[in-house]
Amino acid sequence: MPEPQLSAAKRHQRTQAFTSHMASASLERQLVAAQTAKTDLETKLREKDLIIERLEGDRRWLAEREQEEREEKERERTEREEEKRKSDGELRSLRASMLNLEEQHENLKDEHSSLTRSTSQTLGSQKSHISTLTRQVFLLEEELAEYRHIAEERSHAYEELQAQLDHLNASQDSSIQQETDEESWAVVRAELHRQAEYMRTLETSNAKMNAELVMFRERQAKIEVLKEQKRGLERKVKEADELREQVGRLEAELEAARREREEWASNNAGPSTPSKTPVSITQSLANLRITHARLLEEHGSNVAVLRRREAELANSEKRCTELEESLTGLQAEVRSYRTKVARSEHDAILAEREASFLRAMVASFTAEEASQNGVRIEEATVQQVQQLEQLVADYRSTVKELEKELDALGGNSRSLNGAQAMKQLQDDIAKDQKALFEIQQTLKESENENEKYIEKIDELEQTLFELRGEIGGGRHLPPGVRVLSLKDNPAQQWEDLSQAAMERLKGENEALIKRLKELEDSGARGQGDGGSNEELVPRKSWEVVNKEKARLEEELKQKEKRLMRLQQIFHAKSAEFREAIASILGVKLAFYPNGQVRVTSQFDLNAAFVFQPTGAGEDGMKMQLVAQGEGGPEDLPQLMRYWVEQEQCIPGFLASITLQCYENDKIEREREQGRPY
Amino acid sequence: MPLTKQAPTRQAITLKGSTNLVTEFFKFAANTILFQRGVYPADDFHMVKKYGQTVLVTQDLALENYLDKILKQVNTWLLTGSVTQLVLAIISKDSRTTLERWVFDVNLIEPPADSSEPAPAKPEAEIQAEIRNILKQIVSTVTFLPVIDQPTVFNILAYTSESADIPADEWVDTDPLAIEASKSQQVKLRSFSTDVHRIEAMVAYRYEG
Repeated sequence: MPEPQLSAAKRHQRTQAFTSHMASASLERQLVAAQTAKTDLETKLREKDLIIERLEGDRRWLAEREQEEREEKERERTEREEEKRKSDGELRSLRASMLNLEEQHENLKDEHSSLTRSTSQTLGSQKSHISTLTRQVFLLEEELAEYRHIAEERSHAYEELQAQLDHLNASQDSSIQQETDEESWAVVRAELHRQAEYMRTLETSNAKMNAELVMFRERQAKIEVLKEQKRGLERKVKEADELREQVGRLEAELEAARREREEWASNNAGPSTPSKTPVSITQSLANLRITHARLLEEHGSNVAVLRRREAELANSEKRCTELEESLTGLQAEVRSYRTKVARSEHDAILAEREASFLRAMVASFTAEEASQNGVRIEEATVQQVQQLEQLVADYRSTVKELEKELDALGGNSRSLNGAQAMKQLQDDIAKDQKALFEIQQTLKESENENEKYIEKIDELEQTLFELRGEIGGGRHLPPGVRVLSLKDNPAQQWEDLSQAAMERLKGENEALIKRLKELEDSGARGQGDGGSNEELVPRKSWEVVNKEKARLEEELKQKEKRLMRLQQIFHAKSAEFREAIASILGVKLAFYPNGQVRVTSQFDLNAAFVFQPTGAGEDGMKMQLVAQGEGGPEDLPQLMRYWVEQEQCIPGFLASITLQCYENDKIEREREQGRPY
Repeated sequence: MPLTKQAPTRQAITLKGSTNLVTEFFKFAANTILFQRGVYPADDFHMVKKYGQTVLVTQDLALENYLDKILKQVNTWLLTGSVTQLVLAIISKDSRTTLERWVFDVNLIEPPADSSEPAPAKPEAEIQAEIRNILKQIVSTVTFLPVIDQPTVFNILAYTSESADIPADEWVDTDPLAIEASKSQQVKLRSFSTDVHRIEAMVAYRYEG
């Protein structure tokens, strides 16, 4: 069934066509939308392009502006640098000029100070001068006034003279002619001349008087003082006057008393002694007068003292003035020295300033060089300069120190050499003295030692004597010394003699003991009892003897035992020896007590030989064949002849015998064995 | 023993002469001591003129022989310079203690180092005077030595150097016969010297104060 299939395909086609259509439509729509979008975008792009162009144009403009600005800046910088360089240069120059100016300023200040000092000084001097001048002027004015006065007087006199002259002229006119006039004129001239001379003399005297006046004025002050003193003295004088008044009063009283006395006398004694009282009064009066005169003298002496004092005062015043003058002179000198010192100080300061200024200059220059041109060759030179400056400073300091030392040494620098020599000499002397002292001390010490040694010598001599005594007493034997005596000397003889006596005494003693024993035996027989044994032989000695006996018996037993043992050993050993000989050599040995040895062969008991030792020869014992048994081999005589007689070799003989015997024995045995078969 | 005096006419005494002089002195000194100290009875001694004075010499033949034997040997030792001291010891017979020791030091005089000129010889008369003085002094010691009231015997000791030549069968080493220090006193006697030898005498004695 294609239908449904077709329809399905158609349907499918349709749906496909529809979907494709729809799709195309949507695509177209999308296309359109895209186209619109594209146009939009294009327009936007265009706008953007426009904007970009505009912006680029702006940018270009701005860049141009920037470049311009940069160029401008660079220009300005270069300008500024130039300006800066210029300003630096200016600054440097200004600094230099400033330093110069400062220097000048300092100089000027110094000058100013010096000038002010000098001006003040000059002012002071001028003031003093002015004062002196004013004083002079005053004096001169006074003089002038005086002179005026004198001149007035003169003029007055002159007028008078003129008047006189006129009058005389008038009178001469009348009487005498011109000749007389001339004469009078000459007189007048002479008179005038004289007057002028007188004037001159007056002036000089005036000057003198003025000087005197000054002096007197000064004296006036002193005189015032003296007046004071005088016043004091006057006061004392017043007191003296008072005393005088008192004296007067007392005199009056005295007189009154005298009168009273007179009256009393007249009343009492009558006129018998009329002249007595007046005499006493006159006496007292005379006394009073004398005292008065004395007081007057005192007064006069006081006045004289006063005068002297015045004279002294005048002298002292004069001295005072002189001293003042000298003082002023010295002050002036001091002033001048001060100025000099100030000037020199000032110079020194100036020099230092100069040096510092130069250093600063150098420093500034080096700084400039360092800042501008970097390292330069002149650095070395600068260093040199610095070193040189330092050296100069060092030298200055040393020079100052040396000057100080010089000052300290004072004016003795000239006599330094002499002083040094003196010092050296003194030092030498001191050293010598010291050495002398030491030597003396050592001398003393050695003397002391000497004394000690002498003491020691005494002590040693004493000990030597004692030691001699030791040796003499025989208690000390010096080393390397033998003490010898003759063998047969009296002392030895005496000793020997005493020894012999001892021996003799012993013998006697023994004999006596024997005798005692005999007596004892006889006594024992008489008593018939052995109990007296003890009395005859001392029990003690008997015991000792018994003990010794027992000991000896014991020893004997032991010895015997030992001997037996040794004999047994000897027997065993000898048997062993014999057996060994028999087995080794095939012979049996038998030793006889008389020294003979019998040798029997093992293999033939009949073959026996007896040997006898023939004394000690040079080479050991020699054996001699002395007997022989009846047995033995058949050729025994031959063997004996050969070995013993010819060769004299017993071992060889025995060996051949042994061999023969062995052969015979062997044959015999074989024969015996063969028989029973 | 030849004790003949050597002719002293020459200026210097020889060693042999000096030795003979010393030996002779010993002989007379020993005799004097033995007599003065009563070691032998006084009857045994007879007087002999010697050194300008009388000296007592023993007549006991045994003693004479003994002394001669000793002095002969001493003479030979003096010639070799090997004897330094001679001692005569007096011993108690009973207690065998030494009572007195008469000591004669023998010193050889060293010739001076610069022997360009030999020292002036000592006159023999002077030597004899010195010897006489010693003998007199020995006699005078009786005054201060303790009285010996017991039988005594004597011995003569010779102090020799170890290298000395000794006749072995006659001389023997012996005890120095010392006196205890606590009981010993000593007195130095005079000395005499020849040009070669100098003899210093001394007596040490037992004193039980």
